Amino acid sequence: MKESQIMLIQYLTGVLILVLGALHFLAISALAPTKDKVLYHYGTTGVHNLTNGTLYYYNVKKIYTSLAWGSVFELLLTFLVFHIFNGFRIILSEQFPGGRSEKIITYAMLIAALVVFVWGTRTIVLMLYGGGV
Amino acid sequence: MQEVALKGFGEVVKTVTLRIRRYDPESGEPPKYVEYKVPVQMGMTVLDGILYVKEHLDHTVSARYSCRMGICGSCGMIINGRERLACQTQILELGKDLVKIDPMGNYGTVKDLVPDLTKLFRNHESVKPYVIRDEEEPKGEYLQTPEQRESYAMFTDCIMCGLCLSACPTNATDELYLGPQALAQAFRYISDNRDLGLNERLNVLDSKHGVWRCHFSGACSDVCPKGVDPALGIQLLRQLLTSNVFVKFEQKGAPKGPDRKSVTGVS
Amino acid sequence: MTIENKKGWISWFNPFKYGTDRWMYSLHRLTGIALGLYLIAHVWETSNILNGPITWNKIMVDLDYPFGQHFGPLILSLILIAAAYHALNGIRLTIVENGLMLPRPYRPEYPYKAKSTRGLNDVLKIVLGILMIITAAIGIIYIYTGVIV
Repeated sequence: MKESQIMLIQYLTGVLILVLGALHFLAISALAPTKDKVLYHYGTTGVHNLTNGTLYYYNVKKIYTSLAWGSVFELLLTFLVFHIFNGFRIILSEQFPGGRSEKIITYAMLIAALVVFVWGTRTIVLMLYGGGV
Repeated sequence: MQEVALKGFGEVVKTVTLRIRRYDPESGEPPKYVEYKVPVQMGMTVLDGILYVKEHLDHTVSARYSCRMGICGSCGMIINGRERLACQTQILELGKDLVKIDPMGNYGTVKDLVPDLTKLFRNHESVKPYVIRDEEEPKGEYLQTPEQRESYAMFTDCIMCGLCLSACPTNATDELYLGPQALAQAFRYISDNRDLGLNERLNVLDSKHGVWRCHFSGACSDVCPKGVDPALGIQLLRQLLTSNVFVKFEQKGAPKGPDRKSVTGVS
Repeated sequence: MTIENKKGWISWFNPFKYGTDRWMYSLHRLTGIALGLYLIAHVWETSNILNGPITWNKIMVDLDYPFGQHFGPLILSLILIAAAYHALNGIRLTIVENGLMLPRPYRPEYPYKAKSTRGLNDVLKIVLGILMIITAAIGIIYIYTGVIV
């Protein structure tokens, strides 16, 4: 692909991440399926209380099992993976310019991006199809 | 003729230390800093200071310079951490008792303060900095309105001092990057209405080390001693290239004026 | 013999002596790297939801208390500030790097202050800076108190 096309996608995914990222924050805060919207509970003992609050296991699971949120997360993951690993590719190829090293960087970033993408997709898809305990 | 009396002019105001980075290519030793004490007069520039050192203290200090008035662009160096022309920087204006002078970064150093500008000229050459036309032999002038000239005139002020490449953070690691100077010149020719060479330059500009490696840190425009604003040129060039992805950009080329023979009678 | 005098990657994070854009470039790069690494960790962290509540709770506690009680919210707040900065500066860069809201070529006049890094670009910086402070403040208040402003 031409560099101008790659960079256009970079800008576009950046804007989309902003929109979807905002939704993702809403998912864990304002629209969280719980009345207790606190992320971190500090008891008198100073122990993280995970029997309620937004990060309580069954609350997070509720978000994941909804198809709408699942699609939002999947899209967000796709755009983020492209944006981040293309960004890393740019930074690294500026550090190690040259035909051969850039080829290595490009393929390394492609593989790393695929691994992260597959790993994240696995979580989302398995949770949609009744994963988790 | 009445002489203008400048108060304090010619008097030694104070003594300033010039800390100059020395590198001797013959000994091959790593560069080291050497300090020189220089009496400073009003209006004395850093270049004057270096020349004072050369005349009175150490004849082996080397620097490039020519016009001493900010026209030739030879004496670019890093003065107190910032890229400046030595001939346009007054020592007293710096306001420091210690002036640290380094050769320009991101270039090789030939000796002391002399940078190896091969990269600058190679990059400049690679963007074809001349008007490209499709006809082989021009028959007459190409017409251009004053407004059309204004659209690129500021970029013609470039004196190729190379300060922008030294300030550019991308150039700090990426020696293949074209650099602000070459990209601004590419824009200067592409936006010239007489030019038809966009497609010929495209493979150099739209490459892995072309226009997209600029991240608009604005350092080039900040240090430019001529106010050329290369960063502006690069962003406008980028606008051209992004729109070129969707709609093929067409250069019409300036209309030809009357040819020479019909005006002067001689060919 | 000519020797190399490259400034090297360390100069990416040396914005002194230049203008505001140069600072924003350094911060954009730093926050970008940090957010990228955070995403990789975050994808791994959230994948533990498949392993049931016991592992999930253990991971949450381990990640929040490796260096004491307030590490979790602190790191989350920093990531939030970084994300707000990177996102809003990214919007600015998308605008100006495509030649929008920049001046057209002009006549340089002494003392040669570049107009591309000033003018409307400065207005954008201020607007996005205010937005960033608001976003970060809302987020941090939420992280620490659970109150959604």
